[in-house]
Amino acid sequence: MALGVVLMSGGIDSPVAADMILSQGHRLVAVHMDNRPFTDDSPLAKVRDHLKVLSARYGSPIPLTVLPHGSTQIALMRNTDRHVGCVLCRRFMWRAAEQVALREGAGFLVTGEALGQVASQTLSNMRTATSAVALPIVRPLVGFDKQEIEARAKALGTYGISTRPGLCCQAVPDKPATRTSLLKILEEEDRLDVGRMVEDVSRHAQVL
Amino acid sequence: MSYHSLKLCSGKGAYEAVPEPKRRLDLRRVRTRLERSGRSVIDARVMLLVGGDPEVTIMQDGRLVIKTPDARQAESAFRDLLPLLEGT
Repeated sequence: MALGVVLMSGGIDSPVAADMILSQGHRLVAVHMDNRPFTDDSPLAKVRDHLKVLSARYGSPIPLTVLPHGSTQIALMRNTDRHVGCVLCRRFMWRAAEQVALREGAGFLVTGEALGQVASQTLSNMRTATSAVALPIVRPLVGFDKQEIEARAKALGTYGISTRPGLCCQAVPDKPATRTSLLKILEEEDRLDVGRMVEDVSRHAQVL
Repeated sequence: MSYHSLKLCSGKGAYEAVPEPKRRLDLRRVRTRLERSGRSVIDARVMLLVGGDPEVTIMQDGRLVIKTPDARQAESAFRDLLPLLEGT
């Protein structure tokens, strides 16, 4: 069985995606991108509670690495086109998760993305976002609709945790692009020191 | 500068104040005023993140997000900040 890294946001989808991978006998380590000050403390608390549910269900702890993402968001806002901010944000998340995977010896990345649910999850944006990394990305929920995912989350016991009060990401632009070209994204990233930013994030990782 | 009454955000973790009519703030001026009043501010160019309890985000379009689910605390923070936004 293989080891993967799952991105956990505190939302409804990611614990369901993690459960589907764990149920097949694979092992996971979790990564949470800490988006403060663009959100509050609630997403991290939710992720920790999600992992308690999953750890109890599968009888083994799931390590959690928390990586700072707020400073990345600030750099993106200051230096890049807001219209494509969600895709740029995702690319940094993927890079950070890949660094954790390489350190842990994990061979794949897992996400709760489902096609077309939000701006960052159109087919076009998924493609431009994930081209930032080389590891394969597994999306167990890709073809599910929201109702199916919620039903699974309720059965799993994570839905109530995900829907506790919290602050949505404030870094989302008013009109996020739903179609992006890789050329445009690379031009925007040319305004940033991508390598240094990823290194900074990795250096401030906290393993809980 | 006038605002609609505070409204609980969809995630129920914060209150939002929306200006009426819509307007665009000069965030550089707002930032200067905030810092002169002793508040810590992170300038993200398109928004200001104001430290304190509760933290407040000030958007370029004049919206405020006050990071508390407590209506009284949100109202109090809003009233404190409003004079600093006038005329910007």
